[in-house]
Amino acid sequence: MVIQIVVTLGVLVLVIPSIYSSYKKKSMTPFGAFLWILFWIAGLILIWFPHLIDVIGSGLGVGRSIDAFVYIGIVYLLYVSLNQKIKLNEIKREITLLNRKLALRDVEEEKK
Amino acid sequence: MKTYIILPAYCEGKVIKEVIASIKKEGYKNIIVVDDGSSDNTYEEAKSTGVITISHPINRGKGAATQTGIDAAKLLNADVIVTMDSDGQHDPKDIKKLVKPIIDQKADVVIGSRMINNKDMPQSRILMNKIANIVTYIFFGIMVSDSQSGLRAYSKKAYNSVYTYMDRYEFESEMLGQIKDANLRIKEVPIKVIYTDYSKSKYKHMSKFSPQGLTNGIKMVVRLIENSLIK
Repeated sequence: MVIQIVVTLGVLVLVIPSIYSSYKKKSMTPFGAFLWILFWIAGLILIWFPHLIDVIGSGLGVGRSIDAFVYIGIVYLLYVSLNQKIKLNEIKREITLLNRKLALRDVEEEKK
Repeated sequence: MKTYIILPAYCEGKVIKEVIASIKKEGYKNIIVVDDGSSDNTYEEAKSTGVITISHPINRGKGAATQTGIDAAKLLNADVIVTMDSDGQHDPKDIKKLVKPIIDQKADVVIGSRMINNKDMPQSRILMNKIANIVTYIFFGIMVSDSQSGLRAYSKKAYNSVYTYMDRYEFESEMLGQIKDANLRIKEVPIKVIYTDYSKSKYKHMSKFSPQGLTNGIKMVVRLIENSLIK
């Protein structure tokens, strides 16, 4: 019971305000903020009603229900990591192209 | 024929003037220095010699700087482009050997190979170059004797057919892949490598199998794998 109260307080006092502040600073879209809040509420529900994990696990056909969460977690992390890598590569490429454009300005002006 | 010499330079303030002077001495006046966001006085030193000097505001790597230099020469309507290292390890006397097959229309791309006459090269360096050649063959399907050589010449047809996106040293391999895909005629000529105290101190970690040299090699392979998976 103690751990459930601590986690709930942590989510309500730290996580939700942090999501709200990111949304206010426009570093998170309204849809993104909504999804994150939904994610944490779902987490809180599972902490308070752990038997729901078994219901979800048996629905997914996984023997030990907690395994289902580990599998989904790994797939999600791989997906996030790949997306970050793609985004990072795009940003690097854009920095290089911007650098190049700035460097070539003098040559272009000289040509005119 | 208008030949442009491109020197991608990063923190070469100590030697850049000397390198430019040695190229001018061989009769090449069209020189483009691309200062790749150096933290020293490379830009000012190069600019003071009167050659075309352009600068990347942020350091992006030798590959990015070389492509910027090629773009600049393209804007200036070059007939032949020669890329060269700016640390003085290449002999400007070799430029003529690289440009000749292009003028004679016998090649579109000429690579200055340090491996044809490699008797002065340390054995460990020869081995590392051979590994780099194999890696280039695996990723880009082209085998040359010196895939990492920075001394290369490109005809107008060649420089208009290639455009590299890899920012660091692996761009040399990427360029070879594009040369192959564009069916360009490639020729290799032997070149001399000048091992000065400066270049020796700069590449100290690469002269033998040091952990740093090995790490750089592994990083290059990782970047090649990443780039072959994520465009």
